[in-house]
Amino acid sequence: MPASYEQQITLAGDLHARPAGALAVAAGRFASAVSVTADGRTADAKSVLGVMGLGATSGQHVTVSAAGPDAPEAVAALITILSEATKVGG
Amino acid sequence: MSAAPAVGIVLVSHSAELAQGAAHLAGQVSGGTVTIIAAGGTDEGDLGTSAAKVTRGLRLADSGAGVVVLPDLGSAVLTVRAVLEDHGGQSVLLADAPFVEGAVAATVTAAAGGDIKAVAAAAEEARHARKL
Repeated sequence: MPASYEQQITLAGDLHARPAGALAVAAGRFASAVSVTADGRTADAKSVLGVMGLGATSGQHVTVSAAGPDAPEAVAALITILSEATKVGG
Repeated sequence: MSAAPAVGIVLVSHSAELAQGAAHLAGQVSGGTVTIIAAGGTDEGDLGTSAAKVTRGLRLADSGAGVVVLPDLGSAVLTVRAVLEDHGGQSVLLADAPFVEGAVAATVTAAAGGDIKAVAAAAEEARHARKL
């Protein structure tokens, strides 16, 4: 059974197109399955359109989950992107 | 992973402005690491498509990993197919996808290191993505 990890973050800004793109590009580089959950809805983190479709906004709690060989690294990388990229908007 | 060439994207639109705008948007969202060529309008600058622009786009977009082409409307497909018949051998996939969403999804997948099939699949899956 592959190891599974998850971590939660509170968004500092809205999850607009560019942060969603940065998130999906980073997620796509990991072998693990990675998902993002906001307000009860979950999207494949590798799908930029799915991430944008969450419509996650500033102050919302977002959970990043990963399962697979590089799950801890994937969660850490995506949490970092969510904490930094949502500050700039776009 | 960044050392490997990314799949290139060619956006074929009846409108030069639409192709350029979609290319700009997709480049911004994906972080600017993928070659996206806008092939919009006729050779005279009117609304329509140009075999010469598509041919040039395929050449410029290919850095060794192949090219995914997105047409905006069905009739652009005719122009792309005619060009591809004359350019056998190059690794090109024509994606049946919504133009803007497909361009963004394809470019993000290319930026993440996806191969030509994964990039075309990302574009085609864009038709199922909900905005609301």
